Amino acid sequence: MLRARGLHKSYRMGRSHVHVLRGASLDVGRGEFLVIRGASGSGKSTLLHLLGALDIPDRGSVEFEGTDLFDRGDAIRRAYRRRSIGFVFQFYHLLPECNVLENVLMPRLVAHSLLGWRSARRTARRDAATILERVGLSERSKHRPSELSGGERQRVAIARAIVNDPVVLLADEPTGNLDARIGGEILELLTELNEAGQTVIMVTHDDKVASRAHRRVQLTEGIIKEMDGSGGDAASARRIIKEVAP
Amino acid sequence: MYKWFLAIRYLRTKLIAVFGIASVMLCVAMVLVVLSVMGGFLDTVRERARGLHSEIVLEAGTLQGVPYYEEFGAYLQQQLPGVVDIVTPVIYTYGIFRVPATTWTKPARVLGVHLDDYVRVNTFAGGLHYDKYYPGSSRLDPQSMPVAGVGPSGDLVLPPDLQQANASWRESEADPEALTAYDADPFVEAPYPYVTATPRSTSERVYAAEPGPPRYAGPERDGVIVGVDLLFARRTSGTFERYLARGADVALTLMPLSPAGNPMGELPSKVPLRYVDDSRTGIFEIDSLCVYVDFDMLQHRLAMDPQPLADGGMTKPRANQLLISTREGVDINEAKDQIAMAWSVYGASLGLDPDSQEARALGLAAVYTWEDMQRQFINAVEKEKVLVTFLFTLISMVAIVLVGCIFYMIVEKKTRDIGILKSIGASSLGVAGLFVVYAGAVGLVGSILGTIFGSVVVWYINDIQDFLASLHPQLRMWSPDVYSFDQIPNVVKQADAVWVASMAVLASILGSIIPARIAGRVWPVEALRYE
Ligand SMILES: Nc1ncnc2c1ncn2[C@@H]1O[C@H](COP(=O)(O)OP(=O)(O)O)[C@@H](O)[C@H]1O
Ligand SMILES: [Mg+2]
Repeated sequence: MLRARGLHKSYRMGRSHVHVLRGASLDVGRGEFLVIRGASGSGKSTLLHLLGALDIPDRGSVEFEGTDLFDRGDAIRRAYRRRSIGFVFQFYHLLPECNVLENVLMPRLVAHSLLGWRSARRTARRDAATILERVGLSERSKHRPSELSGGERQRVAIARAIVNDPVVLLADEPTGNLDARIGGEILELLTELNEAGQTVIMVTHDDKVASRAHRRVQLTEGIIKEMDGSGGDAASARRIIKEVAP
Repeated sequence: MYKWFLAIRYLRTKLIAVFGIASVMLCVAMVLVVLSVMGGFLDTVRERARGLHSEIVLEAGTLQGVPYYEEFGAYLQQQLPGVVDIVTPVIYTYGIFRVPATTWTKPARVLGVHLDDYVRVNTFAGGLHYDKYYPGSSRLDPQSMPVAGVGPSGDLVLPPDLQQANASWRESEADPEALTAYDADPFVEAPYPYVTATPRSTSERVYAAEPGPPRYAGPERDGVIVGVDLLFARRTSGTFERYLARGADVALTLMPLSPAGNPMGELPSKVPLRYVDDSRTGIFEIDSLCVYVDFDMLQHRLAMDPQPLADGGMTKPRANQLLISTREGVDINEAKDQIAMAWSVYGASLGLDPDSQEARALGLAAVYTWEDMQRQFINAVEKEKVLVTFLFTLISMVAIVLVGCIFYMIVEKKTRDIGILKSIGASSLGVAGLFVVYAGAVGLVGSILGTIFGSVVVWYINDIQDFLASLHPQLRMWSPDVYSFDQIPNVVKQADAVWVASMAVLASILGSIIPARIAGRVWPVEALRYE
């Protein structure tokens, strides 16, 4: 379903270049819970951004259901971000001026024009309420992000990521800023979502967190390596790992 | 949809929006105040320029004047009855104005007018001082000096006709403040001879007069109405220091000219006159120069009335201008053309020898509209308008830059939000649109507040200035002794307000375009990498 091939990405740091991804390839199937592991600074976020079409690779391709995300204009990537993926960031990234409900509704607002919103409003509000219920924040829908704890904020971020019913949920160290217990709850939530059929790709550098996944891959030196002893036999049946020579 | 939603939300929750709104508001208020005051000023000037003459003027073009003016007036009224309303001749010349009691002299432009008709073709009557309190009492024919006396009840009274005129004014005066102002100090407001006022306290004065009944005294002399600035100095309060009483002796020295323009008669000719009133057209250049006397008297004194010729005939009387008022609804430029045509047809119909002095005088005369007559003055006014427009443009630029800066700051602070929006699928154009809508909203709110604030300032501008002046005289921004207006214009035109407000909204939007484009270009990953 999601297929990355030979991704290269480097950043310029003054005069020198940091070659972060050096031909990373990855395939993800529907319903999978994939964890990408890697040391801090190994390029996990960079990879996830490419998978979410938030950034453009120097070389290589990402195909979503057979469509290359980078060989044409921005419109495809925009539609992909809007409809097919949900992104959860390590630092929550909620809009501080909007309350919980409004933050969750924001992807819907983005998807509708001023006129279209009139007809879409009722369903959108109902969906948002259902999702807030699901992440356990019904009581706090009128609160501002600044009034919430870290765990609650991350729940809002997850609710926002899934409100448009995306095919893939991309989570970049969603527990990175939370203590173990709260982080565990977030993982619980992601697991529940996965069990309900949501494809999840999560990035972490925490081995304990990684143990949740069906399947784990390791990002080292800019390429993806399948990890031995990946949990879940179902996952191994689906696994497709390829290394493409740079 | 999120554009509108977030724009409103930012407007309500971001402190920086308050700065944006405040700067737009102040710009709008400032421009509106400048435009209203300047516009009011220009309108008044124009209005006054218009009231100086009459709609159309036949101007002799020479000091010695043009003959056949009377016949031509009659001809006009007969030929163009639908166009021409009143026709009245004017003589003007230059002379030396003198107040014998003070040996004080000034150059004067002397106008000879038929007062009854003159006041019907222009707004002259509205600028008369004594005539306001004693309607109908300002005449230019020979008259004696009115002297106040002690009435039966012991107060000061004037001769019966003046008492009566004053009573009729009191009945018809609609403005109660004018009555109170006059009653506070009747003989200071409108001084009469031999009345002395001694302050008893700050609020009360005692008037004393020569013993005897109210009467007219002294020889009869032709009346003269004097431009107020020629006689009196203006106080900062806008009132005049009237040290000369009504009926005082004044004199004019004139220089008669022959039809060819040569000095003639016994030179110079000194005319004793009686000061009956002063006139205020509101244009300083006129009020500090002009004096008005009776047409027939001046014509005679200047030898412009029929003079015997060597061959036994008589010369034609001459005048310098023929003021022509048009009927209501007549286009004055068309009227001017028709009258000019009539003038040449009439001139030709006289069958004069083209080399004669009369024919040449007719050829020099030309027809003008009031705007033509005041061309220089109005041009200056229009130049000021250009200046105002220029200032306005400059101010608008400032507003655009200001809004641009504020929005640049907002965009900087909101980069992360922009990244978030893009990560959930917002387009560059959409994000740019968000800031344009935001700027429009800031502009709109600022404009509305600015229009309200500016209007209030304009409405109360005279009170504001009085207050400032009460703090320190140097803070007086409008000195009535410089401008011929007592008050700062304080009317806001609706069209101005709408125009300024919409320009400000437009300026805000324009100012936000660069920051909005920057916002549109934000790369989501860059914006979201760090906390
Ligand atoms: N915009 C950037 N400019 C320069 N260097 C960058 C930029 N983004 C990431 N990097 C560098 O790329 C490397 C990988 O970053 P990242 O993908 O965030 O790693 P991880 O998420 O695994 O910690 C790091 O060394 C980081 O400093
Ligand atoms: Mg990272």
